[in-house]
Amino acid sequence: MEVKVKILRFNPEADKRPHYQTFCVDAEPTDRVLDLLEKIKGYQDGSLAFRRSCAHGICGSDAMRINGMNRLACKTLVKDLGRGTIVVEPLLGLPLIKDLIVDMDPFFEHYESVMPYLVNDEPPPLKERLQSPEERARFDDTTKCILCAACTTACPSFWSNGRYVGPAAIVNAHRFIFDSRDRAAAERLRILSNQFGVYRCHTIFNCTLACPREIQITKAIGEVKKAIATGSLE
Amino acid sequence: MRNRTVPQPSMSFEYIMWMFTRISGLALLFLGAVSLVIALAMGARQLLDMPTLARWTFFPNPNHVVNSKIPDVTQGWANAYWQIMQIVIAFFGISHGFNGLRVIIEDYIGNTIWQPMLRGLLFLVWLFFLIMAVFVILAS
Repeated sequence: MEVKVKILRFNPEADKRPHYQTFCVDAEPTDRVLDLLEKIKGYQDGSLAFRRSCAHGICGSDAMRINGMNRLACKTLVKDLGRGTIVVEPLLGLPLIKDLIVDMDPFFEHYESVMPYLVNDEPPPLKERLQSPEERARFDDTTKCILCAACTTACPSFWSNGRYVGPAAIVNAHRFIFDSRDRAAAERLRILSNQFGVYRCHTIFNCTLACPREIQITKAIGEVKKAIATGSLE
Repeated sequence: MRNRTVPQPSMSFEYIMWMFTRISGLALLFLGAVSLVIALAMGARQLLDMPTLARWTFFPNPNHVVNSKIPDVTQGWANAYWQIMQIVIAFFGISHGFNGLRVIIEDYIGNTIWQPMLRGLLFLVWLFFLIMAVFVILAS
């Protein structure tokens, strides 16, 4: 079957503003949007720029807007997008560099601001810091994040105010706040209770809809708000 | 599983206003229910029509019921208790609404000079509304 792919193109060296370009690609219904982009880049226009790495939904490199929704190109099948033209655009809310590539620096600055690593100054035990299956299950959902930025760039609060840390940063803070081995929950909660922390979230749920890993993001943000209000990490 | 707690972060303005939004919303519903129940206990079913009762429920001002079948509003319907109720409802209602506007400003106005200016203006308008509300309540 022949598929029309309409891509928002932008070349900073030649274009004043982004414009759409449509390509016709021979594809199977089981092809992924990433396959279509590879075919376009390989056989039609080598200047098309997009990020990709593992191509199996783990590295989080190829998040983009496909038919208006943030998705991973490597997890989106042609047959799931209906019969019409497939529209592919870069993520919103981050500076556009070229074609489907956006500047991820602001996203990772917010991510780093919440201390997304284990903090524990207590002397380590002989073998390892033990954790029961129940304690591990408490934050299991938020360990699934692949930092693709689909959630943060789907958030209207982030679109309108780039200083908001965004859902992905809160998800990664949640992953350590509720980890029984970690000792920096209070510091992370302090960071997230500021003007650009969790209270910029107005439970719009775009993040939860956009997450390719199906993380219950709005729920996780709610749990962080509750932890700030009660001090309880249960 | 061990109980894990952390000291709560020192109260930030955002946290206080986030709590205030929830508390004032619930308080408005509770105060409305109180006004409604007391009005019904004072015979609102016979004395007031439905729109008048609704107006009284959410703002128990005697001017709202003066044209009803109540023979004398000064008997139970206009006193210091209802004035205090009105002031509390006006405070929660106005502050809840203006806090919503503050959140919208912080969401949509970036880090420009407009944000502190609009926040300052909003604070003054909030204060003006509160003073006017108290004045109208005490004068009516």
